[in-house]
Parts: sequence; structure tokens; C-alpha cells
Amino acid sequence: MTALLALDSLAKDWFGVPAVRDVTLAIEQGATLGLIGENGAGKSTLMNMIGGVVAPSSGAMIWRGEPYAPASAADATTRGIAFIHQELNLFTNLSIAENVFIDGFPRRFGLIDRKRIAEATRALLARLDVEHAPETIVGELAPGERQLVEIAKALHRAADLIIFDEPTTSLTPRETARLFDVIARLKAEGRTIIYISHILGDVARICDRIAVLRDGRLIDEGETRDMPVARMIRSMIGRELSGLFPDRVAAPDEEIVFRAEGLSQAGVLEGVTFDVRAGEILGLFGLMGSGRSELARGIFGLDPLAAGTLRLGAAPLAGPPKARIAAGLAFVTENRREEGLMMEAPVAENLSLVAVRDFGRGPLALIDREAHVEATERAKVELGIRAANIARQPVKALSGGNQQKVVIGKWLMRDPRLFILDEPTRGVDVGAKYEIYALADRLAAAGGGVLFISSELEELIGMCDRILVMSRGELTAAFAPPFDREKLLAAAFREAVA
Amino acid sequence: MSRLSDLALRHATLLIFAAVLLWFGAQAPGFLTPESLGNIIKQAAFIGIAAIGITFVLLTAGIDLSVGAVMYLAPLIAGFAMRDLGIGVGGGLVVAVLAGGLLGAINAAAIVGLRIIPFIVTLATLFAFRGFGAFLTSSQQFDFDRAMRDFGLSSVGPVPMPIVVFLLLALAAHVVLSRTTFGRQVYAVGNDPEAARKAGLPVAWVQARVYVISGACAGLAGFIVISQIGRLDAGFGEGREFDVIAAAVLGGASLFGGIGSALGAVVGATLIQTVKSGLVFTGVNLYLQPILMAAIIFLAVLVDTLRARRIAIRKRRIIRPIET
Amino acid sequence: MKDLSPAGATPRPDIRVPAPRPGADLGGRLRRVLLSDYFVLYLSLAYFLVLVPFLPTLSTPGNLTNLMSNMWPLLVVAVGQTFVLTIAGIDLSQGAVMGLTSVVAAMLIATAAPAQVLANAPIWGSFLTEKGGWLAASPWAAPIAIAAMLAVAAVIGACNGAAVARLGMPPFMVTLVTMIAVGAFAIWLTQSNNIRELPDSFVTLGRGDLVSVYLGPKLESQLPRREVYSFVTWPMVIALAVAAFAHLLLNRTVFGRYVFAIGINRKAAEISGVPVARVIVTVFIISAVCAAIASILYTARLETGRPTLGAGTFLLDVIGASVIGGTSLFGGKGKIIWTFFGVLFFVLLSNTLNLMNLSTFHIDMVKGGVILMAALLDVVRTRLLRAAT
Repeated sequence: MTALLALDSLAKDWFGVPAVRDVTLAIEQGATLGLIGENGAGKSTLMNMIGGVVAPSSGAMIWRGEPYAPASAADATTRGIAFIHQELNLFTNLSIAENVFIDGFPRRFGLIDRKRIAEATRALLARLDVEHAPETIVGELAPGERQLVEIAKALHRAADLIIFDEPTTSLTPRETARLFDVIARLKAEGRTIIYISHILGDVARICDRIAVLRDGRLIDEGETRDMPVARMIRSMIGRELSGLFPDRVAAPDEEIVFRAEGLSQAGVLEGVTFDVRAGEILGLFGLMGSGRSELARGIFGLDPLAAGTLRLGAAPLAGPPKARIAAGLAFVTENRREEGLMMEAPVAENLSLVAVRDFGRGPLALIDREAHVEATERAKVELGIRAANIARQPVKALSGGNQQKVVIGKWLMRDPRLFILDEPTRGVDVGAKYEIYALADRLAAAGGGVLFISSELEELIGMCDRILVMSRGELTAAFAPPFDREKLLAAAFREAVA
Repeated sequence: MSRLSDLALRHATLLIFAAVLLWFGAQAPGFLTPESLGNIIKQAAFIGIAAIGITFVLLTAGIDLSVGAVMYLAPLIAGFAMRDLGIGVGGGLVVAVLAGGLLGAINAAAIVGLRIIPFIVTLATLFAFRGFGAFLTSSQQFDFDRAMRDFGLSSVGPVPMPIVVFLLLALAAHVVLSRTTFGRQVYAVGNDPEAARKAGLPVAWVQARVYVISGACAGLAGFIVISQIGRLDAGFGEGREFDVIAAAVLGGASLFGGIGSALGAVVGATLIQTVKSGLVFTGVNLYLQPILMAAIIFLAVLVDTLRARRIAIRKRRIIRPIET
Repeated sequence: MKDLSPAGATPRPDIRVPAPRPGADLGGRLRRVLLSDYFVLYLSLAYFLVLVPFLPTLSTPGNLTNLMSNMWPLLVVAVGQTFVLTIAGIDLSQGAVMGLTSVVAAMLIATAAPAQVLANAPIWGSFLTEKGGWLAASPWAAPIAIAAMLAVAAVIGACNGAAVARLGMPPFMVTLVTMIAVGAFAIWLTQSNNIRELPDSFVTLGRGDLVSVYLGPKLESQLPRREVYSFVTWPMVIALAVAAFAHLLLNRTVFGRYVFAIGINRKAAEISGVPVARVIVTVFIISAVCAAIASILYTARLETGRPTLGAGTFLLDVIGASVIGGTSLFGGKGKIIWTFFGVLFFVLLSNTLNLMNLSTFHIDMVKGGVILMAALLDVVRTRLLRAAT
């Protein structure tokens, strides 16, 4: 084998849930491999293993013909593997040159040789067509420029393999074009590249080979010329849908419960208009970085909106989240751990947090403990939360699916009229997904509207009455059943599919 | 417009400094004479030297509440060494710095080794160090011999000794922070400890060293002031940790880590001393002076907060090009 | 100590402890004691019992009375601090609030004041004269003075809270500034002098024996005013009432839930509709008001309005006692009962060190060690808990 990097039956479990299963893959020196797959397909976990961020559960890696088991990210770096994460690993308070040299400054008389690092950095930046001086503080750079600094770091370390994880999500079209230019040059220099992206057109343009992951397995791999976009999509989705979704009970009403009109915010959203009917599950499809979560946060009052109006029922919706909750809005955020739950607090406390005011009695608002126990126990049963003792057990002790049920459950006691579910099934196993779908249907059946935001197309097709597609902060299309998967994806990728 | 306010936010302390100088200068013309200004810098050396040290700690998003106690204990140990070992004032100075560094190392061991948060560790050592000092002296005043005051009142050419030490230390700290690997790692760790770990930087080692430096500087600061007084009272340095932190923050150090500089600490300490001296000069009631000090610190912290908020807004993800 | 024993007799493990494995019974029991709410109480009792043989004066009624009278005001302050710590804040200004409110009360109700001492003070001639303060003759002097103290404290607390919640400033710096400014203002008001001659109606609050117990003739060296030892005093009643109310507020009310929610995860609390800013402001008001109540007790006991009341290391005692009890500086973890035991332990510690004839500085040294031990213990407990879940 002359492969630069070979993966042999590589696998990774997270607490018994497989994220990557049995992946065997060889990457030749100088190749450019595109890695695609839906969210949760295992792309990031796979790359994190290569990058030394997580250790594999089983399997082996061979790097330049030798066994390779990086103990840390730094370890991977010294071996010549550079990993450019979506969240960049830069120190925003240091200069470009210092970021490039942070793990080993050249010294003169014991002091950092600033002249040398400036010159070396200037040369690197010139190769990347970056016009900033090496002394520029990284915090002052635009996202695209920061990415180029990361690449400069990789070049400085003479990295043989450079992994890009969704590099274009926060770039403007011009910055993206420049990045591709740079990647082409890296290729010409003979460097090996792994490029992860949702934007299939980009992958096809840049890469020689393409590998498709689904459910942690390597499903398809081949030369780019043998991989039309249609085949990529087929391999990515591939799964039979029957039995994965509950039968819909709710049916959309004529009555409009929620209406958004002309929502705009510079750099984020542009002219977003839609409405949700009573009993309806409205899907919102978009890739990571399409603006779907920002839209949800704007509606909930967490992020500013420069223009546009919101109506819930007959009344306009405005003010801080507190006021919108009172008006009947509920929001399950995509970030369950940081924004959804109090991880150390018992399940019951989490379940009653939104409605806790309703349990207050008397001038002191003493909590009616009996009513509290009764309501939370009822919620536990209704939601099917598997927990031994919800009054004691902290939420962090539950599985991802049960945690998500708690996040949804805490809104139920207020009977909201519009439920925004942002990626409600992320990090949740298949069984719990079914229960969450059933919950979404019940919310709609109770007469409310549901805005179901997801980057998993199947679940939207399986559950929604209509699907809106979002890309780069705009609604690009609206679909009604029967849904055409390829058209939906095309609208999201903004690609023409024959 | 936002460029301008950015600039104002960044250099707020200097703006405040200029306003203070102009104000007191207008009130009392004698205030802006070289002698008066030289005096201010001389008096600023005490808090300033310790503020330079604590800047290292604040840069890593830590805190050191024990500096007041170290200011007391380290010179005391030096005093004993000078008396019993006859090592002279120069030797005493070295001992004070080493003792301060050692006390800082105790903080570092508990913070890095036992993973107890800096606030609690240094709160505890604040009590312990002072108590140990009192144990050594039986809570009595400690008298140094004449040589100590001779040293304290000496000068290099026309420049008084405290100013020489203050400026030399500031220069050294500035070089360390801006020109050495360690210095840049201090900034990196304060900016994002997780990223620093991923980049393979010796995070724990960096964190440990900043407490040693803070202790050593506090020891030096105490020694320099005491050399001018010639004796060490039992309550010396009590509550000074807050002055020191305030000076560093005024000089632009952020409590959230990653921002600050040695020269900033010099400016902060000098600003505090300028206000103090100015208030005395203009005859403002002694008891009202801290209130004005508090107002200026509040202003500086508010500016820091606004600056941090502005950076946070800028970090927000941009999805689509902004039409200009 | 009598009031504590019933609670101590029924340990109630509040934290999930895994069933002890066979053979690991001792370890399991040790772990249960470590994780118990009453751990610090056990520690205090053990400490007390170990030292009694060596320090016979420790268990004399006179000393116990003294110990308790030191405990009550500190408890009130620490209760207020517990609220702030629970939202992951800190309040350094409590001591300064005590000083200012002490002066405010005294200048309103003093029955006389010496001109030669206070003539330079800004309050002289307007608020305070040789004939005392405005309310010197009023039958309502004490209640109005108390109301004024609480009001002043509430305003200061509201300012702290607004700076933290609305401007987003770090609590440490905000309350540091308040500490400096308010402390200086109190000293300026009297030009660093104390105001004596407080009326009896107010001073009663400092001792006011409600129930006194005769326990033999008093020893000569002790508390000259006492013929009998009073166990139930006004400070005790007030402090316990404050603690009980605070316990109710923190554990049983909607407000308490909000406090914990903010301390555990402020973002999640905000998204769940918790009125975050309002709760933070209220918490800082509670902290300042508790400081004012403690100031009432101290001012009455000292029979003096003292601007430097609560200055120096007092504040560190308060935070130390709270942390020893088990309240976390990272927020989301705090109980009034923990604070109660923490204060008990801290006061007991100071008291025994005093009895050993150690200087205040030695006491400080031991205190420092104890705070560090408590923090280390907290690290151990947290790891045990993490292992248990």
C-alpha cells in the first residue's frame, strides 16, 4: 500500500451508541477526497479521530506506512496532519504571525525573533493572497480571512494532510472563491486534502474522489467523474422511510396561528415571509449555516431583527422572550446542553421551569409542592421519559432522547400556540426519534402550529404538511406533498439537478 | 463613527488620564510641575509594581487576592534574613522577591495541582500568609536598620530609586509579555484555554508561572515601599489587593482574560496615584477621595464591559454578504 | 447547641447515593457522611467534642452565650451572600453597607453627641446636633431608623444589581467599587468618628433577653452586665427568623427556583422565560438588606454607630463561612442550612482559637487553612458526586 493514510475498520461508540462503524478507507498521497453525508452520519467523528481529538473505540490507522494513534490534537499536528475546524482554533488577541508560530517561536537572544516570524508569515500570506500585515490582530479579520490564517498555519507546519470541515459556511461568495483558489494551489503542490461539505457542487468541483458516509458507515466511494450529484444524494439518503414515522393524526386547519412577514437582518436574514396554520407541522429545511436557527432565534426575540413583523393569533409578537412566551410561543433550541437544560438540576425542576410561576401560591408565591409533583409526574408519563426518580435524578443522567423530551416537555404545561422545534432529533437514537415525532404530531393535533426546523430531509418529508427551504438567509422554495427529495435538496444547495 | 467609538473605547484610560491631568492642572497650577509629577510616579511605584505582577494573572483569567498579604510577608522574611544573616539590603531585596515567588508558588500548586479555583485559593492564602507573618513577629512592628532607609531614599542620578525599579520592572515585564514565547502563551491561554490545550501549549505550566510572578512582584513592591519607611507595621498591605486589581483593570486588563499589558498597569497605577495626589493637592476632603476613585474605576470597568460586548457581537456568524 | 440537635439526629441524605456494595460498607458510610447536608454540622460537633477536654472554658455557659452572640449577625450577612453566590455572583459591598447603615441609624436617633468630636462632620448641624439626631425624642425612633437602614441598603443593592444585570458588568468589580465608595461615604459622614448615645429602644435589639436561664453564679471575669445567661435573645430571634424566611424563599418559592435556574444555566433560564434581570437585581437587594439587618444587630450590641463596621476582613469571614458550608462560587448550589452550619463552624473555630489565647493574626492563619481545606473538600465531594451519577 502506498496510501498516505489508511483507515482499517475504524469505529467509535459514544456511550454505546455507534457514531462511526467499521470504516476502511485509503487516501493516496496528493489526492483530494470529498467526504459527504447527512448530519450525524459520522463525518465529524471520523475526522476527529484522524485529527487526534477523539480516540477510536476499535480499528487502526496507518499514517505513511506506520501505525498511527494520536494522543492529542497537538500530536496529530506534529505528524503533519492539519485539521481546520468549523470553529477556528485561533487566538483572537494575538497577531497573525503569532498565531502561525504559537507552538514554537524562533528566538534570538532569548526573545521572539519578530523579524523572522514576520517575514515567514508574510511569505505564507503572499502564497494565500492575503494582503494583511503579519502584525494584524486576528480578531480584526473577517471570517474568511481567519480561515486563510488557519491554512497558513497548516502550510507553516508543512502539513501533508489538510482536513477542511465545512469551510465555506461562514464565507461570502468572494471569500469562497478565494478559498477554492488556494485549495487548487495546495493540490498543485502535492498536498493531500480531505474536504467535508454539504455543498455537493463544491465537493464535485474540488475533489478527485468522493466518499459517502451514512449512519457511521462508508456507503459509497468513487472517482468524482463517476459520481453525479444524483448518486451522491441517493447514497446519502438511501434509507427506507416506512416505519420510521408515526401516522399523522393532526391535519392543518384554515386558521393561521402564526405569520412572519419580511423578516430581515443584515448579514443574516433577508425578507423571510411565511405562515403556520393551526394543526400544521411546517417544515423548514436548510443546511448548517443557512440561517434556519438564526430565524428561530429572531422569532423568539433572542437575536435582533432589523425589519419585519410577527403575529401570533391576532396579536403582534414583540418584546423579550419572556413576553413572547406569555403570548404562547415555545422554543426548543438546537443547543440542548447550553440553552435548553439545567444539566445538574433534577428532571422535575427542568420540566416545570417554564410554568413554575403557575405553581406559586399566596403573596410569597410558595410552590404548591403537591401540584408540582403531580404535574411533573404526569408530564413524565405523557412524554414517556425514562427516569427512575424525577425529583432527584439530574437531567444529565438521562439519555439524549430523554433529555430532549424534557426540553419539549417543559413547554407543554403552558399550552403554547406555536412550537418552534430546532433540530429536535439531533443526537437522539432512532427509537426516541419516533417518540419525538409523535410528540410533534400531538402538539399539532392539540390545535397549535409547529415549526419543525431540521437539516435531516427524511424526517421533514416523513412528518411535515409543507416544507420551506432556506439557503443563505432566504427562503428559496416552498413544497407541498408529495415531496420530491431531489428538488428539496436542489433548493437547499441552490444547485440545478437534471 | 463606530471606528471612532472603537478607538475611544480602546484608549479610554488614556482619555480619562488626560482629562484628569487637565482638570487638576486647571484647578491647581502647581500640580503639573515636574517635581509634583515625579512624586506621583514615585508613589505609584508601590501599587504599580504589584499591578504589573497581577496583570500576568488577570491575563490568564485568574485572580490573586493574596498580593496584600505577600506585600507584608515577603519583605518581613527579607528583614529577618537581613538581620540574622547579615546579607545587606541588596541581599534582602533578592530574598523578598524570592520569598514572594515562593508564596506565589504555593498559590500555583493549589490552583494547578489541586484544581481549586484561584479566588478561593488566594482568599485562603491571604489569611494564611498574613497570619504566618504575625506569627513571626508576634504581631509587633518590625524595624529595619538604617541601611534600609538609605537604600529607599537613594537615587540613580536625579531619578529616585523606586522610580528606577518601577520602570525597569515595567520594561522587563513588557518585554516578557510581548517578546517571549511564555508571554505570548499567557495571552493565548487567557484568550481560549481549550484552544491552547489543543495547540499543545503547556497550559498548566503557564498558569502556574503567572502566580509565581505575581507573588514575586508583590514581594518586590512591599520591599520597595518599606525601604522608604524603614519599618514594617503589622497591618501593612491589608486591603491593598483591591487597589492592585483596580490599577491593573484601569490599565486595560480584563477580568475575563486575554487583554491587558504591563505598560497598561503602569498607566493604571499612575492614574490612580494622580487622582489621589490631585485630590490632596486641590484640598478635597480626605474621606471623599475614595468615592471619586471608585467612580473612575467604575468607568474603566464599564468601558471594558462595553468593549467585550462589542467583540461578542462581531463574533456573530455572518450568513450572507452584507450589502454595502 | 440545643436547637441544633434534633436536626443532627436525623440525617437525611439529600443527594443520590448509590447503594453500598457489600464489603464497601465503611467506604459507603464515609461517602454518605461526606455528601450529607449535615456534614459541616458533624464536623463542628466533632471539633467541639475533641476540644472540650483541652479547653474547659469552651463549654461554660458564658462562653456558649458569647459564641452564639457572635454567630447571629454573621449568619444574617452570610444568608444574604448565599443568594448572591447561588446566582454565580459575589457581593463584596456587604461590609460597607453595614458601616453606612450603622451611621445612618445613629445620626437619626442618637440622643446626644459631643460637639468637639463631630463638629467637622458634614452631618453636624443638620442631621445631628448636641441634642442628638432628628428622631432623638420620637417614640418611633427605633422603627424609623430601622426602616431607613433597610431603605438605604435596598437602594445600594439595586444599584449593584442593575450594573450586573443591565450593564453586564462583572459582580466582583461592581461590588468592589460599591465597597470602596459606600465605605468611604460612611466614613466621610462622621469624619471617621463613632456616634454613641443610642436610645434604649434601639439598643435592646442587641441583647434584649427574652428568655434567660440561671446557670449558677457568674464567673468574675465575664460579661459584667450579665447576672444570668440569656439563651434566647433578640439577635437570635431576628437571625433565625431571617434564616427561616430565606430558607423558605430559596427552597420553596417560584423566586427561589428562578435563582437556582440562573445560577445553573443563565442562558437556559432566559430562554425559558425567567425574568433574569429582575431576579438578579432582587438578589443583590436581598444581600444588601441582610447586611443592613446584621448592622442593626451589631450597632445595637455595640451601642454605637460605627462607619467602619464590617470593614477589613469581615467580608472574607462571610464568604469563607458560606463556602465552608458548601455553597459553590460557580453558582447553582447553595442552601441556607449549609450556610447556617458554615457560620457555626467558623464562629466555633474563631472562638476556640480565641480561647487558646491566640492573636487575631494566628486566627487568620488557621482560618485561611480551613477555607482551603473546605475548598479541597468541595473538589472531592464534587468528584464523588460525579462518580455517583
